[in-house]
Amino acid sequence: MSTVDPGMESMLETFIHETDTMLEQLDEILLESERARSLSEENINDIFRITHTIKGSAAMMEFDGISNLSHAIEDVFYVLREAPDKLEIVFDSLFDLILESSDFLKEEIGKLQGEADYQEKYPTILIDKLHDQANFLKGNTDTIVLSETESNVDTEVEDDENTYRIRVFFDDGCQMENMRAFMLLTQLQHYCDLLESIPSHPENDSEYSAQIIKNGFVVICKPTNSLEEVLKTIEGVLNIKTYEVLENSSKKEAIVEEKSKDEKSSVVSVEENEAAAKGTVTGKPVTVKTGGVKQSLISVNQGKLDYLMDLVGELVTAESMVIRNPDLNGLKLDNLTKSIRELRKLTDELQDIVMSIRMVPLQSTFHKMDRIVRDMSKKLGKKAELVTEGGDTEVDKTINDTIVDPLMHMIRNSMDHAIESAEERKAAGKPEVGRISLTAKNVGGEIHIKVGDDGYGMDPQKLLSKAKKNGLLTKPESEYTEKEALHLIMLPGFSTNTEVTEFSGRGVGMDVVRKNIEQVGGSISISSTKGKGTTFTIKIPLTLAIMDGMNISVGDTIFTIPITSIRQSFKVTSPDQIIENTNGTEMIMLRGECYPVFRLHNVFGLETELTDITEGIMIQVESSNISACIFADELLGEYQVVVKSFPMFFNQYNLKEKGFSGCSILGDGSISLILDINNFLANQ
Amino acid sequence: MNENHATELSAIEELNGRYLLFNCSDMLYGVPLVLVLEIIQTKNITYLPGVAPYIKGIINLRGKILPVLDIRLKFGIEERPYDDKTCIIVSEIRDMQVGLIVDSVSEVVTVDSENLAAPPNTKEMSAWYIDSVTNLEDRIVLNIDFEKFLKDDLDVIKVQ
Repeated sequence: MSTVDPGMESMLETFIHETDTMLEQLDEILLESERARSLSEENINDIFRITHTIKGSAAMMEFDGISNLSHAIEDVFYVLREAPDKLEIVFDSLFDLILESSDFLKEEIGKLQGEADYQEKYPTILIDKLHDQANFLKGNTDTIVLSETESNVDTEVEDDENTYRIRVFFDDGCQMENMRAFMLLTQLQHYCDLLESIPSHPENDSEYSAQIIKNGFVVICKPTNSLEEVLKTIEGVLNIKTYEVLENSSKKEAIVEEKSKDEKSSVVSVEENEAAAKGTVTGKPVTVKTGGVKQSLISVNQGKLDYLMDLVGELVTAESMVIRNPDLNGLKLDNLTKSIRELRKLTDELQDIVMSIRMVPLQSTFHKMDRIVRDMSKKLGKKAELVTEGGDTEVDKTINDTIVDPLMHMIRNSMDHAIESAEERKAAGKPEVGRISLTAKNVGGEIHIKVGDDGYGMDPQKLLSKAKKNGLLTKPESEYTEKEALHLIMLPGFSTNTEVTEFSGRGVGMDVVRKNIEQVGGSISISSTKGKGTTFTIKIPLTLAIMDGMNISVGDTIFTIPITSIRQSFKVTSPDQIIENTNGTEMIMLRGECYPVFRLHNVFGLETELTDITEGIMIQVESSNISACIFADELLGEYQVVVKSFPMFFNQYNLKEKGFSGCSILGDGSISLILDINNFLANQ
Repeated sequence: MNENHATELSAIEELNGRYLLFNCSDMLYGVPLVLVLEIIQTKNITYLPGVAPYIKGIINLRGKILPVLDIRLKFGIEERPYDDKTCIIVSEIRDMQVGLIVDSVSEVVTVDSENLAAPPNTKEMSAWYIDSVTNLEDRIVLNIDFEKFLKDDLDVIKVQ
């Protein structure tokens, strides 16, 4: 089947989610093992379990390519499990091949996710390669005999006291009976000491479906605790029409229970311990460890979370609409104030918990970087290791998704341009293996992510001359400080490497990185020491949706400045404090330092009667590298505002770059414009 | 589900052939009623710096932020101070809600398809968004296709 049946959509979502998670795990295991240059038995089993699960669920979703590829990987590890000592022979080629396959799977999953009409690609070459690999391994081993397609329908299970035979019938026309039977087995294994079935391996052949429809699916089991527990589990499985317990070998019908189940959209997850289920294939009795840890996680559609977030946002707005209701002005309402305080506490708490739901650890993003370093060091012949720290730091899902690409780009850059070859490193007296560090830290309301390397480092002088060549300098070369020179690399049209390599230099450079990061309200700065290495520091806010801001008015327009950007606000007492340049720009001296003054009404062309600098209010703001004073009419107070983006209609105007990060609806229904101080100052 | 769909369809059919008429600089324009979401008063428009002059700003319509355009300025004719009759027609164009400021709205008329005439076949660009012309007893109505009218603005929008 090449297109997706719309009825399967919710199952598809679960499939994508599960497979995605498992592929990430697979990569993690592979990289870890590769570094250790060995595969522990546990790891082999894990890989086995992962590929087996993917195979099973993909087959259920009828994605042949994914299913068969996983099957092929599984075959290889099947051989390896039997003869772990053969691993050394094929180590490198094997890992490359498996990682390549994992990439293919990820790509397919990505396509499933993003494309409405998914067309399946069949990885013939990969599967062939894997088969070759498996055969090669097999040829090298004489101890094992691989019998993949057993069809021993009659299984020998001792018929002692506690063994039960249960015949299960599935709903008419529920399709893929063999896979459902297999899933049933998987679920049951947690509750049974011994588990067999007729047919014995329903997942191997869809031909069994017909047999199951006709004769039912017979489960032979020896319950760990009680038969009731097993029956309860069977009841809980989807699409089961009826089941009956055939008591012991006498096959006397004991209980006949009928049960019609509403089809729920929830998908039975085939997660844990499938490797063990596979273990039964070899005919060995298997003891299943359930581990006793009950999973208390549920996966929720992100759309619902976004909606919840919106609702909480509306709630916060409505709350301040009530609290700051003009009808209450001038009244002394002690009880109301008390109640309001209580309400505030609750909404604050609600907001916190909703935010925390959306938080995901950076770990998985970091693992992706691991993979890049590995691939690139192989291809470029450089030796490097990635050291990560603070992977458990949590950020908003949206932010996490946005920074993956920039981080990837930066790591690639470091590998490609910064880390020297092993010989060069030796000559420079550095350790042969380059070191790229990736750390995340929670600092106040921000997350600081640092990407560092111990490579060449950047030469400000070189950067300057390069920028000059590309016509990017805006002031005389000598006036650039070292920091400013380093920041030149983030200008559009500046690429430090003229050659296009496979990994970087494809026309997208640090300017795109900066843009992506600024999109989520973050900033990036660079420090570098020639010969010692470079460190990029990314600062991003924890969450996006709700922030503390200072509302100020200019004429009829209300602006919100993020509290984090404000250093202080003050009144100018005499016009003498203002220094006026001949070209009309104004400046002010504060504690011995000189800051430019921007009058908002001039900058944005707003009408206001208040132009006397001593009557309005001055707000000192700072971005990552500039500090300045903003002149406005008056301060309206500190508010919690819900950030709303501008309608799509304004996309063409690049409001973000003009200094507006969004807008917000205030308590009285009017709109305030949220100033993005970084961009605002960069524009002046 | 099917029933819902059917009622929805019949509701749309009911609106077919009905036009909302509005005035702009002494001329009567029509817009298919299906496209009109609602008509609201012009107040509390928040000025947005740095956008085209005919975009008057943004408004808050029950928690949604909409852009508001002055139809006079978009036509290229002189602005007029807003009064009681000035109002905003909220319309949905390409899945986006947009408010259009008009001098006043007059009425809703049902037009038979035989009363619709083809637009004037001029090469002049200003008339290319006129979809059809309706001949009511004593008046001529120019029916605007909002999507064509705002083509310049809509085409440059990259869906992010």
